[in-house]
Amino acid sequence: MTARTGGTPLMTRARAVGLAGSALAIALWWLVSLGVPSYLAPGPPLVAEKLWEFCTDPNLAIHVGASLAHVCIAVPIAVVLGSGLAILAHDCPVTHLMVHGRIAPFLNSFSSIGWTMLAILWIGLNGITVVFAITAIILPVSIVNIQVGLDTLDGELAEMGQSFGRRWRDNFFLLVLPALLPFMFAAIRISFGIAWKVALTAELFGGNSGLGFVVNLARQSFDTAQIFAVIAIIVLIAILSDNFVLAPLQARLSRQYADADG
Amino acid sequence: MAKPRLPSDLLPHALADGLVVLVLLIWWQAARHLPPIVLPSPWAVAVSMSDFVTDADLWRNVVATGLRVVVSVFAATIAGGGLAMLAHHVPILRDLILNRLQPLLGAMPSVGWAILGVIWFNVSDAAVVFIQTAILVPFCLVNISQGLRELDPELIEMGRSFTRARWLMFRTLTLPLLAPYIIAAIRLAYGVCWKIALVSELFGADTGLGYVMYQAQLVSDASMVLATSLVIVVLFLAGDALILRPLARLAAPPPS
Repeated sequence: MTARTGGTPLMTRARAVGLAGSALAIALWWLVSLGVPSYLAPGPPLVAEKLWEFCTDPNLAIHVGASLAHVCIAVPIAVVLGSGLAILAHDCPVTHLMVHGRIAPFLNSFSSIGWTMLAILWIGLNGITVVFAITAIILPVSIVNIQVGLDTLDGELAEMGQSFGRRWRDNFFLLVLPALLPFMFAAIRISFGIAWKVALTAELFGGNSGLGFVVNLARQSFDTAQIFAVIAIIVLIAILSDNFVLAPLQARLSRQYADADG
Repeated sequence: MAKPRLPSDLLPHALADGLVVLVLLIWWQAARHLPPIVLPSPWAVAVSMSDFVTDADLWRNVVATGLRVVVSVFAATIAGGGLAMLAHHVPILRDLILNRLQPLLGAMPSVGWAILGVIWFNVSDAAVVFIQTAILVPFCLVNISQGLRELDPELIEMGRSFTRARWLMFRTLTLPLLAPYIIAAIRLAYGVCWKIALVSELFGADTGLGYVMYQAQLVSDASMVLATSLVIVVLFLAGDALILRPLARLAAPPPS
């Protein structure tokens, strides 16, 4: 955070070192790639060429879209389910132990491959398997995040709401939900980051489309450059979407609520 | 963990454990009408799980996975902590480590590391440890740099007024202050590591639980797939409750 505001010489020098270090890493990679066969370490030009293919070849580009679709379907399902469970635990204290003492820890310690393998056996090799596996993996993230949000809900505000109306629905939509939005968004942001990464696992084993499927094909033909390219796409989309879409949206959302408070 | 005595204490437990029993019952009923390839009965899965204790061959696989987890968590804590220290004490490297390396490592998919690990190290223990360490490093880096940021500058200043010996300062001041964050990093890494152990071993090993699960999946042995997943849950919970949580309590700062 401070790196952006400070214009001190140290910051500029650190920036320069950061840039130089990245350049050096790429140069080193290039040097190494010249000395070893390309299936061990394909050089930057070869990987760039493969990356370009993703932009020009619709057969490849469609897999990027498929992965995004898997993630964009799974994240809302997980956030809604997770919010539901967290709200249940919050509003009916008897279920607190059930949700946070049984369901969440279980989901949290079940491995992504486990869900994928089970989904393959239950559903088969298709997009539903992938969406199911991703949803199951990111569900505990939503439960925990929304729980934190509910715990910080202003007790006095809730009481005021109670004094105005006893209808649960009005209270929920007018008070609880707006107060929860920033936490829901945090849940969405974290979930998206995780989902985007585990989509690769789920698609590799259980999918018939998506970037994981491309990796699976590339792995069978020892096309390491293609694998590098897919990893580069995943990393790029993860960083870009977080920096330029999710983080600004979240900042705007919390600013809006900060203003409402003040 | 107080024993439930009051009725108000009993109801949440009844609901929570009731859910577990209900799920087992539904599972059992569903399994009676479905082929075991799709859904094995709870009993079959329990038998598969007990095989992990009685069968020496499976036991060896459990030990192999456990050892790799311990080694990877240790290596990742050292590497992540080292990077965090470097970023903290050498300001000129801060941008490189925290704004370039950390987002890159954080955004790397685990399967990406798994495939690269196998390409570079073949199928071996080294490949698995490399894959797991690479996946865990960003978690440790984030947690330990958080701890370093929250070090009390006045305490450090006090320390400096007593001695200029850096190692002494580090050992007697920085390390104890940092301990809760390091333990938190280890706990987080440990939890993540059990989950990704399957991924890394599916690709990088011919022993271990990941390998067992892969073999089971190849022959559509659903009860073994489920049993392996559950064994991992049990092992993770046991390690966390028996070793890491007591450690975290030890490292926690005394209440002031």
